[in-house]
Amino acid sequence: MEEALEQPQLRVFLHPLLHPALLPVSYPRDIRPTWSSIMEYNGGSVIAMVGKDCVAIASDLRLGNQALGISSNFTKIFPMTNRIFLGLPGLATDVTTLKETFRYRVNMYTIKEEREIEPETFAHLVSSTLYERRFGPYFIEPVMAGLQKAADGSLKPYIAATDLIGCLNFAKDFVVAGTASSKLFGVAEGLWEPDLGPEDLFETISQTLLNAVDRDAYSGWGAEVYVLTKDKVIKRTLKGRMD
Amino acid sequence: MPDGSFAHPQQRQFNPYTDNGGTILAIAGADFTVIAGDTRQSEGYSIQTRYAPKVFRLTDRAVLAVNGFAADGNMFVKKVKQRLEWYRHAHAKDMPLRAIARLIQTMLYAQRFFPYYVYNILGGIEEDGTGAVYSFDPVGSYEREACRAAGAAQSLVQPFLDNQIYFKNQKAAAGQTHPTHLPLSDVLSIVIDSFTSATERHIEVGDGLEIFVVVTKGHSPQGLESIRNVQEVTTRADTDRMFVIRRELKKD
Amino acid sequence: MFLTRSEYDRGVNTFSPEGRLFQVEYAIEAIKLGSTTVGVRTPEGVVLGVEKRVQSPLLESSSIEKIMEIDRHLGCAMSGLTADARTMIDHARVTSQNHAFTYDERIKVESVTQAVCDLALRFGESVHDEDAMMSRPFGVALLIAGIDELGPQLFHTDPSGTFVRYDAKAIGSGSEAAQSELQDKWHKQMTLQEAQILVLRVLKQVMEEKLDHHNVQLAQVLPTTGFEILDEVRLKEIVDIM
Repeated sequence: MEEALEQPQLRVFLHPLLHPALLPVSYPRDIRPTWSSIMEYNGGSVIAMVGKDCVAIASDLRLGNQALGISSNFTKIFPMTNRIFLGLPGLATDVTTLKETFRYRVNMYTIKEEREIEPETFAHLVSSTLYERRFGPYFIEPVMAGLQKAADGSLKPYIAATDLIGCLNFAKDFVVAGTASSKLFGVAEGLWEPDLGPEDLFETISQTLLNAVDRDAYSGWGAEVYVLTKDKVIKRTLKGRMD
Repeated sequence: MPDGSFAHPQQRQFNPYTDNGGTILAIAGADFTVIAGDTRQSEGYSIQTRYAPKVFRLTDRAVLAVNGFAADGNMFVKKVKQRLEWYRHAHAKDMPLRAIARLIQTMLYAQRFFPYYVYNILGGIEEDGTGAVYSFDPVGSYEREACRAAGAAQSLVQPFLDNQIYFKNQKAAAGQTHPTHLPLSDVLSIVIDSFTSATERHIEVGDGLEIFVVVTKGHSPQGLESIRNVQEVTTRADTDRMFVIRRELKKD
Repeated sequence: MFLTRSEYDRGVNTFSPEGRLFQVEYAIEAIKLGSTTVGVRTPEGVVLGVEKRVQSPLLESSSIEKIMEIDRHLGCAMSGLTADARTMIDHARVTSQNHAFTYDERIKVESVTQAVCDLALRFGESVHDEDAMMSRPFGVALLIAGIDELGPQLFHTDPSGTFVRYDAKAIGSGSEAAQSELQDKWHKQMTLQEAQILVLRVLKQVMEEKLDHHNVQLAQVLPTTGFEILDEVRLKEIVDIM
C-alpha cells in the first residue's frame, strides 16, 4: 500500500534582521528584508565636529522598534579613554555588543602596550574589528571623536567615522551617521565653520543635531553632547521634541 | 523558449517615470518671495544637461518651481500656463496666487491614478501684498507656508531652513521674540548657503542656481543691490517687480 | 409684427431676409408680459425688487419665488417665463460653485452673467448624434446682482444672450414707466435705504394692486451679509417708511 506523502509546509518566519544574503534566491522580493530596514530597525543618529583645540560628539537618545518608541534614555556614546568618545548608531543589540568588544580590546591594548590608546590608533582598531565581520557585519556605523597627542605634546582634534564594515572616513570638519545622516549633513554643512571655540562648537553641534533629528522619525527624544577640551570633558543632556 | 515551452516565464514592465534630480526652494518674506532652483538635470549617475530651468514665471506676481520627473514637470508647467491664459480671457484679469494654488491642486488631483511625478512649489505675492509660498505633493495636497524645500536635497535643506527661518530649537533673547519674516538680504544668503551646502553633499545638485525674487508693488527691493548678476524681468509698470539672479554652483 | 407672420417664423434658428431671428424677438416680447422687476445699484450694495401678482386670495403669496440666490455674493431676479429661469439659475449656481472649487475665489458678477448668457442661444434642432438641445429660446429676462472685487454690480440679460451692465434697470410689463422713473430718481451717491425705497416707489407706480408687504419682494446683496431676501417684517418697515 502506498502511503500518502504529506507535502512539507514551508513556513518562513519573517524577521527584519534576516540577512538578505542568507535568504533563498526565490524569496519574494516584496517581503525580503533590506539592509536599510536593519539600519533603521532601532533608529538613532550621531554626529562629531572639530573645533579650535576641541572636539564634540553628540547623539540622540531614542531607542525604537521601527516606528514604535521604546526608550528616551538610550545612550549611544561611550568613553573609550579619557580623551576618546565613541558613538554607535545602528542596531541596538550590536551597540551593546560592540561597546563591550571595544572596552575589552582597549583594555587589552592598555595592558599590553602600557599606555593609553591614541584616537587614530583606536580608529584603526574600530576599522579592523568591523572588517573581521566583513561577510556578516555588525549593523553599526561608528563615529568617534578624540584629542590626539601630537609630537610636541599638544592635543589635536581628531574625528572619524566608518561604515558598517570598517571603511574609515577621517574628515577635518564633521562626520555623521545614523538614520538622520542626510539631514545632519545638510544642517552641518550650513552651520559649521572652522576654529569654533568649545562653547560655540557646543552650540553648533547641538543646533545641528536637534534640527536634524526633528525631521527624522527614527531619531530624537532628547540628546546628549560631549565637548572635549585639553583639560576637561563637558557632558550636557539636551531636551528635545518628544514627538 | 525555442521549443515553445513555458519553462522560464519572463516578465517585462514599462516604467513611465524617471527621477531627474535637482532641488528647489522657496521662502516668503513680509512683502517679497524668493523662489530658487538648481539647473542640473541628471538621470542616474549621468548629467543630461547643466542648464535645465526648474523655476518658471507664471504671471507678474507668481512663480512656479517644479521638481521630480522633468518631462512631467515641463508638461505640467505648460498646462498651467495654458489655464492661466484661458482664465485671463474669461475673467479679464491675471489669476491671483491663491487661485493658482487651488488650480494646481485640481490639475494634480485630476491625475490621481497616473500622477505627474512632480513636487511643486508656488511662490509669489498674494492679493493683500504679502509674500506667499504654497507647496504641493504630486497628487495635489497643498499648504501655504513661510518656506519649503523639495527635491533630491530636501532632507538636507529643510532642517536647515527650520533652524534659520522658523528659528526652531532657538530661544529668543530675554524680552525679545523671533521675527516672523526676515529681510530680503538675509533670505538671499540663506538660499545661497542652502544650495552651496546641498551641492557640496548631494551629487544630483549643482551646476547653476536660478533665484527669482518677487517684490510687492511700491516696496523697495532692499538687499538686491549688493548681489551680482541681478536681472529685472518685470514686464509692466505699476505692478509687483520681479528679478532673476543667476549664479554658478560647483560642477563636480 | 404679430400680424405679418412669414415662413421665417417656423425655424427657430432661421434668419429672415432682413436679418432677424423672429423667435428670439418674440421671446423678448414675452418678457414684457411678465411681472415688473426692478434692480438698483448703489455704492453700498445692490437692491432687487419684484412685483408678486397674487391672482387669487387662495394663493399663498409666499410661494411665489421670483428672486433667487446664485451664491453668497450673487442674487438674481426674473421676469417672463419664470420656469425657464430655473435652468439658467441652476447653470449659474453650478458655474459659481465650480469656480470656487477650482480657484478658491468668488466668481465675478460679469463672469457668471456671461456663463448664463452662453446658454441662451443653445436652442434649435439637434443634429444627429448631438446632445439634445433646447427647442426654443428662453422666455425670461434676468437681473443679476452681485458684488466682487470691482464693487456692487447689476447686469441685465435677455433671451438673445445679450447682457448689459446697468446702474438701475426695470424689466417686465411695467418696465417702460419704471425705467423712466429710475432714470429721474437714480443718483450716484444713493444710500441703500434710498435704493430700497426707490425700488418700492417704482413698483408701486406700475402696480395695479395697492402695494403691501405681501405682493412685493425685496432682496439685496451687500459686501457684509451677502445675498439676502428681506423677510416680511423688514419689508413692512420699509413699506411703512415709504
